[in-house]
Amino acid sequence: MTYRSQLVASLAAAGLIATSSAAFAEAKVALMGGITGPIAGMAPAMIASMKLALDQANAAGLAIGKITYQEFDCGCNPQVATDAATKAVNVFGADAAVGPACSGALLAAVNSVTIPAGVLVVSPSATSPKITDLDDKDLVFRTVPSDDFQGRALARTLLERGVKKVAVAYINNDYGKGLAEAFKAEFEAKGGTITQFRGHEDKKASYRSDLAELAKGGADTLVLFDYGNASGMTILRQAIENGFFKQFVGADGMRDENLIKTLGEANLKHFFVSAPVGEAGAAFEKFAEAARKAGLDPNATFAATSYDAAALVALALEAAKGDKAKLPQALRAVATAPGERIYPGEWEKAKQLLAEGKEIDYKGASGDHEFDAKGDVPGSYAFFKVEGGTYKEVQKMK
Amino acid sequence: MDTLGLLNYAIFMGVLIGIYALLSLGLNVQWGYAGLFNAGVAGFFAVGAYLSALFTAPPVPDRIMGWELPTGVGWFAAMAAAALIAWPIGKVTLRFRSDYLAIATIGVAEIIRLVLRTEDLLSGGVRGITGIPRPFGDLPYEWSQLAYLGLTWGMVVVIYWALERQLAAPWGRMMRAIRENELAAAAMGKNVEARRLEAFILGAAIMGLAGAVYVHFMRAITPEAIDPMMVTFLVWIMLILGGSGNNRGAILGAVIIWVIWSSSELLTDRLPAEIATQAKYIRVFVIGLMLQLVLRWRPEGLLPEGTHVRRSS
Amino acid sequence: MSGLELINFYVIPGLISGSIYALGAIGITLIFGILRYAHFAHGDMATLGAYVALGLVGSLALSPWVALPIAMAITALVAVVLDRVFYRHLETRPKILTVMASLGVALMLRSVVQVVWGVDPQVYSTGIVRAESYGGLMLRSRELITFATATGLVLFLMAFLRYTRWGKAMRAMSDNPELARLCGVNNEAVTRLTWVIAGALAAAAGFFLGINTELNTMMGWSALLAMFAAAILGGVGRVEGAVVGGLVIGLVEELSVLVLPSQYKMATAFVILILILLVRPQGIFKGKVL
Repeated sequence: MTYRSQLVASLAAAGLIATSSAAFAEAKVALMGGITGPIAGMAPAMIASMKLALDQANAAGLAIGKITYQEFDCGCNPQVATDAATKAVNVFGADAAVGPACSGALLAAVNSVTIPAGVLVVSPSATSPKITDLDDKDLVFRTVPSDDFQGRALARTLLERGVKKVAVAYINNDYGKGLAEAFKAEFEAKGGTITQFRGHEDKKASYRSDLAELAKGGADTLVLFDYGNASGMTILRQAIENGFFKQFVGADGMRDENLIKTLGEANLKHFFVSAPVGEAGAAFEKFAEAARKAGLDPNATFAATSYDAAALVALALEAAKGDKAKLPQALRAVATAPGERIYPGEWEKAKQLLAEGKEIDYKGASGDHEFDAKGDVPGSYAFFKVEGGTYKEVQKMK
Repeated sequence: MDTLGLLNYAIFMGVLIGIYALLSLGLNVQWGYAGLFNAGVAGFFAVGAYLSALFTAPPVPDRIMGWELPTGVGWFAAMAAAALIAWPIGKVTLRFRSDYLAIATIGVAEIIRLVLRTEDLLSGGVRGITGIPRPFGDLPYEWSQLAYLGLTWGMVVVIYWALERQLAAPWGRMMRAIRENELAAAAMGKNVEARRLEAFILGAAIMGLAGAVYVHFMRAITPEAIDPMMVTFLVWIMLILGGSGNNRGAILGAVIIWVIWSSSELLTDRLPAEIATQAKYIRVFVIGLMLQLVLRWRPEGLLPEGTHVRRSS
Repeated sequence: MSGLELINFYVIPGLISGSIYALGAIGITLIFGILRYAHFAHGDMATLGAYVALGLVGSLALSPWVALPIAMAITALVAVVLDRVFYRHLETRPKILTVMASLGVALMLRSVVQVVWGVDPQVYSTGIVRAESYGGLMLRSRELITFATATGLVLFLMAFLRYTRWGKAMRAMSDNPELARLCGVNNEAVTRLTWVIAGALAAAAGFFLGINTELNTMMGWSALLAMFAAAILGGVGRVEGAVVGGLVIGLVEELSVLVLPSQYKMATAFVILILILLVRPQGIFKGKVL
C-alpha cells in the first residue's frame, strides 16, 4: 500500500461524507482518547461519554446540521498524539477536538499542531498545571479542573472533618503528583500533619511494601491520588486486605463503579472520594440518567468531564454558527454566566435560545465550567461515600 | 479536507520521518556497521531531547537548568551529551555480546527514563518541560512546518553524507572487518574494543541529535515521549526492514514504517463506527501483522547491504 | 520495624512477585538457551494465558484453579502455533529477525486480548480476602497456592529435564545444537516441546499475576523486563537460575522501597542485572554466555 493510494482512498472517503451532509458548513469534531497505551482502561468510557453528548446534540437537530465525529488514538504518547492531531486537523478536517486525554500528549499536540492550525481543543482529563500557562491563543480549554483546586479543597475538607494526620500516596504522573503536591501544601499550611508522602509507578504486582512504608508514622488515613482502574485499585485492595489504615480518601480519579463491584461495597465503608460537581447537583443526575440508559457507567473515571467537554464543543459550534474563528469566544459564551441555564441533555432548549440570539450558561455534569482567562475551570467539589453500588454525596467541599 | 490539509499532513509526516531516519541512521552505525545490539535507543534519544530542551527553554523556579541559549547550541549539546553518556555505558556494556548487550542497554534506558520521571529538579519530572523554542516557530503554521521539514532533512542529509564518507574511509572498512570476524581483525592488530566503542558513541550522538530535533518540533517534552515501544523498538523495525548496514536502507525503513504506522489509522477508521474504539486495537494488530509479512517475504530488508557476507549471530 | 513486619510486608510479597517472574523467566531462559533469541512476546503470552483463564471462569463458571491447567494447555498450543507461523521460517536467518518478529507477535497478541476481553481491569473473583495468621505470618490461601504451584511446576520441570529422554534432548540442544543433531536429537520436536513448556508457564505466570492483583491488557508487557532480568541474572538456559533470579528480583523490588523512592522499584532490577553482568556475566548459575 503506498502513501499516495492511502491518501486517495481517504480523500474519497471524506468526499462521501461531505456529499451526505446538510447544506451548512459541516461541523467536525475529533475525539482524541488514549485508546491504546497506558490509560487504555479509561478510554472506552470517556469516548462513549463524548459520543453520548454529540449523539444527543445530533438527535436534537442543531442549526449547524449534523456534527460528524471521529475517534483518534493519542496513545497517551506525544509522537502518537501529534500524528493523530495532524490527521484530525488536516485529513479529517476537525473544527474542534475533545482531548487529548493525557497532559504530555496534549502539550505536544497543541504546541505543534492544533494551536498553530487554530483548532479549538477541550480536554476532559489533562490536569497538568503546565497547560494553564500555555501560550494558547485562547484555543486550549479543559473541563477537568487543574489539580491545584481539587487538592486544596480536599485538604480543607479533611481538616474540617477532623482528620489531622494522613499519609499520602500518589501515582507518579502529572495527575497524581499535581494533586498530591497541592494537597500537601494546603494541608500542612492549615495545620495538618503528613506522615508519609510517596509516589509509585503503575502496574506493579505488589504495593504492600509501599503500604508498609506509608503506614510508618501512624496515620489512620491514606490519601490516595491514583486511578480506580489502575494501581489505585490494587493499592486499595492490598491496603484493606492487609489491614493498613482505617480510612481511605481519593480524588476524582478513584471514583469508579467498577472498583465498588470488584472490591465489594461492604469493604469500602471507609472509602471516600472527592469529585467536581455543579452548584446544582441535578446536573450530574441528568447526565447519569442518560448515561445509564445508554449502558454507560456515569461514575467511570473522567466520564462526566468527557461528556461536558463534548457538549460544550457542540454548543460552541452551534453558537459560532460553524465559524471556526469564533469558536473560543462562543465556547466562553455558552459555558459561562450570564445566560439561561442549560443542564446536560437540554439540547432543544439550548438550540432554541441560541437561535433567538440569547445567551446560555451550560451547567455540566462535572461542574459549572466557568472558564477563567487561561481556559481552566475552578470547579466546585463534593465529598462522596460508597452507597448502593455507587457514590453518594456526603457534603460540599469548600 | 482539501489538498492543503493533505499537504500539511504530508509535511508533518515528513518531519517525524526525518527524526526517525536520524535514529535509524544512528542505530545503523551501531548495529549495521559494528554489530552492536543496542536496545536502549530511547535512552540516548531522551538524553539529547532533554538536554537541548534544558539549554534552550526559559528558566523555571523548581528546576536547575533553563538557559535560553540558541537552538544550535542546544543541538550541539545534545549530541555531546549523548556521546558523553554513551562512553561509560559503552565502556561497561560492550564487553557483553549481542543479547546481553541488548538487555543491559534496555536496562540503562529504563533507568534513564525513571530518573527523568522522578527527578523534578533535573528534568521537570512527570510534567516535563514546556516553552521550548522552535526555529522558524514564529512563521505562519504551514511555513513554519515547511521550514522545519527543511531543517530536519538538512540534518538527515548532512549525517547521511558524513556517514557514507566515514564508511568508505578505512575506518568503515575496519568496522565491517571487525563485525564479520572479530578474531581475524584483532589478529591483524586492530583495536577491536576501541573501534566498537567509537561506533557506539557515534551512533549515540546521532540519536541524541534526533532527540533534539524532535523536542524543538514538539516544543514540549514529557517522559511519555521516550516510551521504549515508540522509540527503541520502532526504530529497530525500521532499520531491519530498510536493510541494516545500508544507510539508504535505514532512511527508507523509517519512511515506510512511519507511513504504515500513521496511515494504518486512516485504514482502520473505515471500519464500522460501532467498533471505532476496537478499530484502534485492530490497528495495532495490523501493524504487527505487516511486520510479519515483511519478515516473511523480505527478511534481508528492502535495501540489503552491498556485501556478500551474511552475518551470523 | 519488627522482623515479622519485614517478613509480612516485604519478604512475602517479594516472594510472590518473585515466583511470578520466575515462571515467566523459565520460558524466556529456555527459549534463549535452546532457540537462542530473546522472545519479546513472552509478556503478552502471559497476558493471553491470564485472559484465557478468565474466559473459562466467566463462560463455564469454572473455579479459577480448575481453569488454570486448561488455560496453560491452551496457551501452550497457541505458543506452538505462533512458533510455526511466525518464527519457524526465520530459523536460518540472523536471530535479530526473530526478535523483531516476536515484537510484532507481542503487539498482535495484545490487540487480540483487547478486542476480545476489552480494556477494563478485571478479576477472577470479586471481593476482598483478608489474610490468615499462621503464628504471626500473614498469608492468604491464594498466596500459598501461588507459591506451592510455582514450586511444584519448577520441581516437575527440573525432574523432567534431568531424568527423561526428552528433557535430556532439550539440555543437549541447549548445550550444543549441532552436536545434539548429530547425535540424533529431533530438533523440531525439541523446539515444539520448548514452546509447550514456555507457553504453559507463561500462562501460569499471567494467571498468578491476575489472581494476586487484577488483570489488565498491559500486565504481561509491564512484567516482561523484570522477567528478562531474572532470566539473565540466573544464567541463560538454567531453569534453577531463572527461579532464583526471579525471586531475587521480586525481593529486591519490594525491599528497595525501604531505602529508595518507590518510583525506582523497577530500576533496582536493572541495577542488579548490570552489576551481575559486570562481575559474573554467566549469571548466578553459570549459564551460557551467548
